[in-house]
Amino acid sequence: MDFLRPATWAEALAAKAADPTAVPIQGGTDVMVEINFDVRRPPALLDLTAIGELGDWELTADGLLRVGAGVPYARIITELGDRLPGLAQASRTVGSPQIRNRGTVGGNLGAASPAGDAHPPLLACDAVIEAESAARGTRMIPATGFYLGVKRNALEPDELIRAVHLRPATGPQYFSKVGTRNAMVIAVCSFALALHPGERRLGAAVGSAAPTPLRARAAEEFAAREFDWSGATALDPALLARFGELAAEAASPIDDVRGTAAYRRHAIAVLARRTLTWAWNDYRGKAAA
Amino acid sequence: MTAPVTAGRRYAGAALDRVEGLDKVTGRAAYAADHRPADLVHAVAVPATIARGEVVQVDVDAMLKRPGVVAAIWHGNAPRLATSDEELAVLQSRRVAYRGQYVAVVVAETPEDAREAARTLRIEYVAEEHDVILRADHPRAYRPENVNAGHPSDTGQGDPDAALAAAPVVVDEEYGTPAEHNNPMEPHATIADWHGDGLIVHEPSQNVSGLRATLASLFGMPPGHVHVVSPHVGGGFGSKAKTLPHTILAALTAKQVGRPVKLALTRRQLFVATGYRTPTVQRVRLGAEPDGRLIAITHDAVMQSSTLSEFTEQTAVPSRVMYAAPHRRTTHRVVRLDVPTPSWMRAPGECPGMFALESAMDELAIACGVDPVELRVRNEPAAGPESGLPFSSRNLVACLREGARRFGWAGRDPRPGVRRRGRTLIGTGVAASTFPALRAPSSATVRAEPGGRYTVRIAAADIGTGARTVLTQIAADALGTAPAAVTVELGDSALPPAPVAGGSMGTASWGTAVVRACEELAARLEAAGGTVPDGGLEVTADTGREVRAQERYSRHAFGAQFAEVGVDADTGETRVLRLLGVFAAGRVLNPKTARSQFIGGMTMGLSMALLEESIMDGRFGDFLNCDLAQYHIAAHADVRDVQAYWLEEEDPHLNPMGSKGIGEIGIVGTAAAIANAVHHATGVRIRELPIRLDKLVR
Repeated sequence: MDFLRPATWAEALAAKAADPTAVPIQGGTDVMVEINFDVRRPPALLDLTAIGELGDWELTADGLLRVGAGVPYARIITELGDRLPGLAQASRTVGSPQIRNRGTVGGNLGAASPAGDAHPPLLACDAVIEAESAARGTRMIPATGFYLGVKRNALEPDELIRAVHLRPATGPQYFSKVGTRNAMVIAVCSFALALHPGERRLGAAVGSAAPTPLRARAAEEFAAREFDWSGATALDPALLARFGELAAEAASPIDDVRGTAAYRRHAIAVLARRTLTWAWNDYRGKAAA
Repeated sequence: MTAPVTAGRRYAGAALDRVEGLDKVTGRAAYAADHRPADLVHAVAVPATIARGEVVQVDVDAMLKRPGVVAAIWHGNAPRLATSDEELAVLQSRRVAYRGQYVAVVVAETPEDAREAARTLRIEYVAEEHDVILRADHPRAYRPENVNAGHPSDTGQGDPDAALAAAPVVVDEEYGTPAEHNNPMEPHATIADWHGDGLIVHEPSQNVSGLRATLASLFGMPPGHVHVVSPHVGGGFGSKAKTLPHTILAALTAKQVGRPVKLALTRRQLFVATGYRTPTVQRVRLGAEPDGRLIAITHDAVMQSSTLSEFTEQTAVPSRVMYAAPHRRTTHRVVRLDVPTPSWMRAPGECPGMFALESAMDELAIACGVDPVELRVRNEPAAGPESGLPFSSRNLVACLREGARRFGWAGRDPRPGVRRRGRTLIGTGVAASTFPALRAPSSATVRAEPGGRYTVRIAAADIGTGARTVLTQIAADALGTAPAAVTVELGDSALPPAPVAGGSMGTASWGTAVVRACEELAARLEAAGGTVPDGGLEVTADTGREVRAQERYSRHAFGAQFAEVGVDADTGETRVLRLLGVFAAGRVLNPKTARSQFIGGMTMGLSMALLEESIMDGRFGDFLNCDLAQYHIAAHADVRDVQAYWLEEEDPHLNPMGSKGIGEIGIVGTAAAIANAVHHATGVRIRELPIRLDKLVR
C-alpha cells in the first residue's frame, strides 16, 4: 500500500488525479478502522493532515462559514459552537474525546456512513460541500445531493472535499440521538433540526435509519405550512405529534444488531418531537423577548 | 478445625499498594508479547471460513514464494501431537468443527509479511450444512454425565411437580442470557522457543502448572522440559485458564521451523478461539405460600458446547444453595453445535444462573406482595438446602439488611412505573449473590536469607487481582516480618506447582501453602536458635493432605446487590444511576485490591445487563460483532456510582487466612438487580439479556 503525503492542496489534487483509487485520510477514525478490519485495502492512502489550510475555517464574503475538511470535531465544538449549534451538538456525541480530537466532518462526509453523526445537522442546515479536482476545479454539492447510498457519496474519483459551507444559525438548532449508551456507540438513530424563522420554515433530517442520511421533507413542508411562525403561540400537541409521525415516515429503517426497524421509527418520532419542543421553546422565548 | 491466624496479624487486612504497581504504570513490567528472543519469526493463524466440513486442499506453494515467508503449516505437514482431546488436536485433522478454527499457520520474518501471507493463503473446503443456533427444544439436547466443576447434572428432592401444581402462588418463566466474551484488556499472545528437547513458552496464563502439564503431554515430554513464563497477565476472566489452540499452534510452529515464534492474537481472534460464556435458556419455577415461603424450586438450564468437546456450564447449581424449599429439582442439558467450545467466564454457572433465579424471586415478591428483601430473608435455609451440610458461615441476611440500610431501601413503594424525574422513570431493585469458597491443593516454597530477607516461590498467577501483593501480606504475617522484607515470585512453571487462578480459589489455595511453608520455616529457624544459616534456609509445603482432609461444610460467600436505574420513558434508554453491593466473604485481606475486585465484578455485571451480547450469525456460523466497536463493554461513563462494602465475617472452617474468594461474586446477581430495577421503573420485565432499548419500547 502506498502512503502519499502531499504538502499542499495542489499536490493533493494532483495526487488524487494521478491515482483516483487513493483513499484520503484525515483523523483516520473511519479509514483505519476499515483497514484494520480488512473491510477495505486501498492501493494507496492520501494523507491530508499536512495541508494546513484544511484545518482553517473562515467567514466568507457572502456570510457563510467555510469550514475546512480537516477541522476536527473538538474545534467545531469550541470555536463554532455558537454559530453552528446543531453541528456542534452532533460533534459532542461523536466517539470519545480522543476521537473528537482526530475525527473531522470532512472524514464523516468522505465515509458517508448512514450512521455518521454530522450528516443530519449538515442536511438540516442546508450545508453545501465544496469539492475540488485538479482537472475541473471547484464544484459545490448541496448536502441533500451528496449521499447516494450506503457509504457512497457524490464525489467523482478525482475529487477531494475541500470544505463545508454553512450559514450561521438563523434560529434554534438541535441534534439528538439514541444509543445503548451516551458515547462510544454507533447511533441507533438520530435526528437534527434547524429553525429558520425568517424564512418561516425549518430543516429536519434523519440519521442511521435509512441507507443514507436524509431530509424529512414531508415534515419540513408540514412545519412550513402549519406552524404559527410569528412565534406567538406554543405548538399544538397535535401538530407536534403529526410532525413526529412525518419524520418517522421519512425513514426506511432495518432490523439490525443495534435495534429493530419498529423501534427506530418510534424513536425518530420521539426525537423529532423532542428537538422541535426544545427549538420552539427557544424560538418563542426569543420572539417574546 | 482450622483456626485462622489472628495473633500476629498485622498486614493481612491492610490496604497495601500493589507491589508491582510502579512497574506496571511505568511500563517496566514485561508482558508475554514484549519478549523478543533473537531470531524471532512471526506466526499468523489462518481461520477456517466454513463452519463445518473438511479442508481438501491448502495451496502453499505460491505463498511460500512471497518475500519473508518462512513456512506454512497445516494438517498435511504439522508435527503429530499425542492427544485424544479434539480440542487440543490443533492441525491434526482435515475436519473443521467451527468457523474460525485454525486450519493453518503462516510464518514469516515480520508480522506484516505473516499477516499478508495468511490473508492470501488459498484453502479449499468441502462445506457441510451447519447448526449453530441454541434452542431449548433442540432435538440433540442431552443430559451430560456431569457439568463444569464436577457437579451432577440433575438433582432433586421431594415431588416438585405435584408441589407446584398445588402451590398457592406460582412463578413459571423462561429466562435467557446471550453468549458473552471475556475480553481481557491484554489480548492473548504466545512466544514459543525450543531449546534442544525443551520448550519455553511466554504466555499470559492463569494456570502455568496446568499449561506446562498439557504441553508436555501433547509433545510427549516430561513436564520438566516445558517452561511456562507468565509474570504479568493483563486480565483473564477465565479466558487464560485453559490451554488454548493458539498456544499449541505457536509451540508446534516453533518446533517445525526451528526458530522462536511469536503468535499474537488480534482482538477479533479473541472472539473465536479463546472461549466464551455459553448462551443459556433457563426455566425457573417457584411455588410458594401466600406469604412467600417457598414450597418448590425447579431450575432447568440448556446450554451449548462444540462438537469437539463437552463443556456444560453449571447454570442451575446456585439454585441448589440459595433458598430453602422441601420440593426441588435442577437439570442441565447441553447441545453440541458447530460452534467454538465455550469456557469459563467470570462466575460460570452462578452468573447466568443467578440472573434467572433472582429475577424469578423478584417476580415472586411481586406475586406475593412481599418486599423482595424480606422474601429472601423468609427463605433463608438453616443448612445447605440440598447437601444438608452446615454452612461454614452464611451471612446473606446480614448483607441484605446492611445493603438495604446503606441503599435507603426502607419505605420503597413496590408499585412499578410510578416514579418520574422529568422524562425519566426511576426504579430500584435487589438481588442476592453467592459463590463457592473452594480450595485446591498447592505447594509453595519459602526461603530465608541471612540478611533478613525472604523469598516466596509459588506457580500462582496474578492476573491483575493483586495476588502477588496479598501473598506478600500473608507471608509477612506468617513470618512475623514486614512486607518489604518479602519477595513473592509467581507466574512461572519452574516454581512449586500451584492451582489455577480461577474459581475464586487462588488466594485460599496459594495462601494456605504459603502459610504452611512459612510456619514450618519459622519452626525450623526457632529450632536453629533463630539464626539463618549462611546458605539460607528453605522450606517447601504441600497442602494436598490438608485440603483433602478438610471438614465437610457448605462453604460459600454471599452478597446482596442493589441497583437504581433511570429509564427514558419514551426511548427506553436505560442508565444505571447507582449500584451498591454488600458482601460477606470471610476476612478481606487487602481492602484496596478487594474493592477493585468487587466493583470490577459489579461493573462487569452492569455491562452484562445492558450491553454485552455476542450475536451468532446463523448463516455464516460465527459471531457477528467481534470487535469492541460492536461488542460494547461498560466504560467509566457508564458507571456513575458503584459502591462495595463488606461485613466482618469470622469463619474458622476455611483456611489459615479465614478468607473466601472475591474475584467472581461481584458479577453474580448484578444483572438481576438491574433487571429488577428496570421492572420497578417501567413495569416491563426483561427476561432475556441484555436489556436493550427495543425490548423496553414496543
